[in-house]
Amino acid sequence: MPEQVLLEIGLALAIVAFAGILAARFRVSIVPLLILAGMVVGPHAPVIGILDFRFIKSAPLIDFMGRVGILFLLFSLGLEFSVGRLLKAGRSILVGGSIYMAINFTLGMVLPIIWGWPLRETLVVAGLISISSSAIVAKVLVDLKRTARPETEMILGLMLFQDVFVAVYLSIISGLVLTGSASPASVLKSTSLALGFMLGLILAGRKLAPLINRLLNVPFDEVFMLIVFAFLTLVAGFSETIHVAEAIGALLVGLILAETDHLDRIEHIVVPFRDFFGALFFFSFGLSIDPLTLGGAVGPVLTAVAATLTGNFLAGILAGRMAGYSYRGCTNIGLTITPRGEFSIILANLAKTGGLLPVLQPFAALYVLLMAILGPLLTKESKWIYNQLAHIFGWPAWKEINKPDRTI
Amino acid sequence: MLIKETELPGIGKKFQIETRSGDKMVIVVHDDGRREIYHFDSNDPEESISMVTLDDAEARRVAGILGGMAYVPKALETVEMALDDMVFEWYKVEKDAQAIGKTIGDLEIRKKTGAAIIAIIKKDEKVLNPGPEEIITPGATIVVLGDRKQVKACKELILHGGI
Repeated sequence: MPEQVLLEIGLALAIVAFAGILAARFRVSIVPLLILAGMVVGPHAPVIGILDFRFIKSAPLIDFMGRVGILFLLFSLGLEFSVGRLLKAGRSILVGGSIYMAINFTLGMVLPIIWGWPLRETLVVAGLISISSSAIVAKVLVDLKRTARPETEMILGLMLFQDVFVAVYLSIISGLVLTGSASPASVLKSTSLALGFMLGLILAGRKLAPLINRLLNVPFDEVFMLIVFAFLTLVAGFSETIHVAEAIGALLVGLILAETDHLDRIEHIVVPFRDFFGALFFFSFGLSIDPLTLGGAVGPVLTAVAATLTGNFLAGILAGRMAGYSYRGCTNIGLTITPRGEFSIILANLAKTGGLLPVLQPFAALYVLLMAILGPLLTKESKWIYNQLAHIFGWPAWKEINKPDRTI
Repeated sequence: MLIKETELPGIGKKFQIETRSGDKMVIVVHDDGRREIYHFDSNDPEESISMVTLDDAEARRVAGILGGMAYVPKALETVEMALDDMVFEWYKVEKDAQAIGKTIGDLEIRKKTGAAIIAIIKKDEKVLNPGPEEIITPGATIVVLGDRKQVKACKELILHGGI
């Protein structure tokens, strides 16, 4: 049997590319299609005669590329992210974001407690349910041509707020889950180690900023890229050895490099890598799911989906009204923030690495699938939804003005 | 004209523009270089009536057209060619230009800038080859001849009363 790794990878990429074509053709998010594609050709798929689509030999390689995808996703999040920007976004975002987190995190905690899931699983599910996918949200806004609308600022502000939450939450959760111990003392120890590592790295980054600046001052793009990626991988790899999620390491590198003078150049080189490995990340997550296990997760997932939609809509209306947006704008806010994606899967992966209940994997897969499809769909139909609600609550009607329909 | 600038993290930058005529428009500059121009209903600030998407190259060309850099009247084109690097320019004197009320001689236009004013078109009269005693009036169109630098200097002199 010849080694066919390259052919297998080629096939995998062809499938990923095909999912991309389908997504573009039907104007849906690529995320659910990539997960589905992964599930269909995963190691659990049936063998039909000589047609064996399972990626056996290349599985570790695809898995690895998926991990690299996490690094790039979090790295570019770190580059984008700045507390200064958040503060500039204003009080309404801070208030709105707190309302959003209070409602959704509570819902995310209550459900698994009702199901009788253990503490660590409950915390993972709470994060998984409360954190939106900023990547999908931004894409939906651009695709539906809503970037110019007034409430878009609020939506993106909420995403920014969540990103801050993600950073802190991931560090706490990774300390809890990866050390595998549940005694209060060790939990405290591992959590403070993770937080200490974060703070230490940020402080070191501040101190070393001039040095990093000089180091990156190379005219050759090739060398520049190598230095950045080496730094990223080294820090992420080191984080892993001290039981801090590699994602945190990547996020921190992003935060540190965002302070340098080379931000634009780094962003420029990172984007293609993030898109490529990010796609493989969703695909490899699909590969790890056995479609037959999905059945057991259906009940909890449907409850969670209903709770998320309600919670997000409520949060959108409350946050939006407090910031002075119209009911129409608020409806848009409440619907646009619903998609779930990369963060939910990162949390599920974390749970898998930490050896938590296996049901979390199919739960996350099914949940993200539904939310990544439903979210953009509901956002697109926000006008119809608004009109129905306007009837019930007596909100002002959405005036029809005579214009050629330019939206999709 | 009122311009409000907001950042859209992860997408780009948004410019809200309210023109003196009451039109509302929003320009979104995406990080990937795309520009989107939205025109909003002036009665309903939430509803965009129409929108245009431009890529980077298209946006720059449109900017050139809007900025008056792209349009050169046919008649002038030939004259410009015949005169090599000399240019005619039609220049309208603004209401608050410093040179208003002064004569061409007072301003020492030819001495200071090297450009020559070869015609002044006022509301009811055209003065060809005006002498140094000719007074600059608001709203008049002045035809300036010179190379590009001289013409520019001349326009500045008229606007600010000095260079």
